[in-house]
Amino acid sequence: MMELNTYTKSREAFERAVKVIPSGVYGHQGPGEGCFIPVEAYPFFSSKAQGTYFWDLDGNRFIDYMCAYGPNVLGYNDPDVDDAAKEQLAVENCVTAPSTVMIDFAELLVDTVASADWAFFAKNGNDVTTCAVLTARAYTQKKKIVFFNGYYHGISPWTQKVDYSGITEEDVCNNLYVDWNDYDALEEVFHQHKDEIAALIAQPYMHGNFRDNELPAEGYWQKVRKLCTDNGVILIIDDVRAGFRLDTAGSDHYFGFEADLICFCKALANGYNVSALCGKNFLKNAVSGLAYTGSYWMSAVPFAAGIACISKMKKLNLPHLLIEKGKKLEDGLIAKAQKYGFDLHVSGIPSLFYLRIADDPSFVWHQEWVAECVKRGVYFTNHHNHFMNASLSDSDIAYTLDVADEAFKVLRDKHPA
Amino acid sequence: MAWINLYGVLGLLEELCRIDGEAQKLTADAYVSIGFAVKNGPEGTLSFSGGTCTLLKDVSSCMIKLPFSSSEKFNGMIDGTVTPFPSKGFFKLGFLLHTFTKLTDILSSYLKPAEEQLKNRQFFETSTTFMLYLVAVAVAECGNHDSIGKFSAGYIPDGTICLAVKDGPAAAIVCRDHTLTAVKSRPAEWTALMEFDSMETARGLFDGSANAMDCIGSGSIRCAGLMSMIDNMNRILTRVGLYLG
Repeated sequence: MMELNTYTKSREAFERAVKVIPSGVYGHQGPGEGCFIPVEAYPFFSSKAQGTYFWDLDGNRFIDYMCAYGPNVLGYNDPDVDDAAKEQLAVENCVTAPSTVMIDFAELLVDTVASADWAFFAKNGNDVTTCAVLTARAYTQKKKIVFFNGYYHGISPWTQKVDYSGITEEDVCNNLYVDWNDYDALEEVFHQHKDEIAALIAQPYMHGNFRDNELPAEGYWQKVRKLCTDNGVILIIDDVRAGFRLDTAGSDHYFGFEADLICFCKALANGYNVSALCGKNFLKNAVSGLAYTGSYWMSAVPFAAGIACISKMKKLNLPHLLIEKGKKLEDGLIAKAQKYGFDLHVSGIPSLFYLRIADDPSFVWHQEWVAECVKRGVYFTNHHNHFMNASLSDSDIAYTLDVADEAFKVLRDKHPA
Repeated sequence: MAWINLYGVLGLLEELCRIDGEAQKLTADAYVSIGFAVKNGPEGTLSFSGGTCTLLKDVSSCMIKLPFSSSEKFNGMIDGTVTPFPSKGFFKLGFLLHTFTKLTDILSSYLKPAEEQLKNRQFFETSTTFMLYLVAVAVAECGNHDSIGKFSAGYIPDGTICLAVKDGPAAAIVCRDHTLTAVKSRPAEWTALMEFDSMETARGLFDGSANAMDCIGSGSIRCAGLMSMIDNMNRILTRVGLYLG
């Protein structure tokens, strides 16, 4: 049996945290979000990170399959990205007039992303999804936005639902909801709200939490693209989560269509805080007309990091590399599950794989198995897609499979066939 | 919300008559039923029979019938600001005016206890158990009748949520086709679990002195199973706060 982690210092830190920080750790990285079940299996704070690993306060090392929920795409502390950032920091960062490194970064994105004629920068994914919706409304002079059920596009009021804390009916009264991959339903909504819809916003495929991830049906995106064009509806692709892990030219390019607006963040600069909205020329004036900016949006260091990150991702043919690593892991995990008679479903693109043990519809077995993996140093979460990064080695995958094997054995002992 | 007041608050008279000695004495010889009929609202009959109380969700066989022209009027009776007038059962008014009033006073003491009363462990546990049951019924009624609550219930899949105190009382919220039913006992099986590690944790959550997120992080609230059920139940719970204060 492998040695199991203990989290004494993590818990002590959490006790300190809750006294001065709401929820101790709030939001998606916090234990209240429903992805750390049972919480006893998880560390709450890290002390250092390198490559594909992070260490917690108690000295436990984890192979990190969450990658800071996406930003860690090349490996923590990637030397090329960090050197570019340090070099820029020595020159200037947050200054009254922006650095021309912003132009360099925009030019690189326009050269890299297939549907990009321009780039607009901010800090978080939510900044650019909101910018995209504002742009669509400004251009079309229409109000309604179409979402696919199970979506996540950030945390601004327009992205939330009427029953969420702090949200009013007025915040979401222009939201329309349709099931993913149901083209007829989408067409019907477009028909019912003809001349009212400003935009359709969607992730490139359905990687909602708490459910198997679902790729687009054959020809689906092409039909959606045409429907939007025919109805004057702006097609926004929220590539914050999947961006650069499917295709460096954008996930719309991967699925063979072109978005009007495409949003990037997470993998853009390997952990340096920058996001980007890219789009077509016909929308450039609409973006220019927005009252939309932020104190740190033109800081130069993240731009330099982003240039280094994108350049390295292109050089490595990163999406191919991550999909290959993901497939190797996926095949190994399924084989380990089968060895103990479990039906492990792996869905989504392998560079962003989603796991679910399908034998138990309540997810309890799945939660127990994930917990056993985490206690042995493999950081999965219960109900969120995972992320691959370039520094994950074959030996890391082999170690992960050893851990998965032992965790499946524990699960089978607990729930005999 | 009239549904919460009738099925949740008055519904607790079932447990009160079972658990509380004084309530048992008061109802030991009572064989009477009181129907509450709220226009455009809920209907229910509290049936007292030799020391037990049962809530039925109709008024077809009640001995005393109290009609209310609106939910506001019914809620006013619960608050003590409206005096109901029976349309049937004038000869049983003594029970309504005396015994029933005493029963509701005892119930109020459990639901709105003085700090001193909570120092008595048995009282504390009974009071907390009543709050657990009330919360479960309130979630179900809010999910079925409140417009925002219904929106949240629309995202709850079929299954059973177990709301429990470890080694203590439990309640279930059963969801079928997005309609919720509360059951004031531990379910044989659950699809999602929210378990408090102690009566103190449960009480803290119910009276607002503890923070749910802090408790989840510290492990004093354990969640397991189909988390979308818990998430959406918690959204309804937030709405319940509007009605229960």
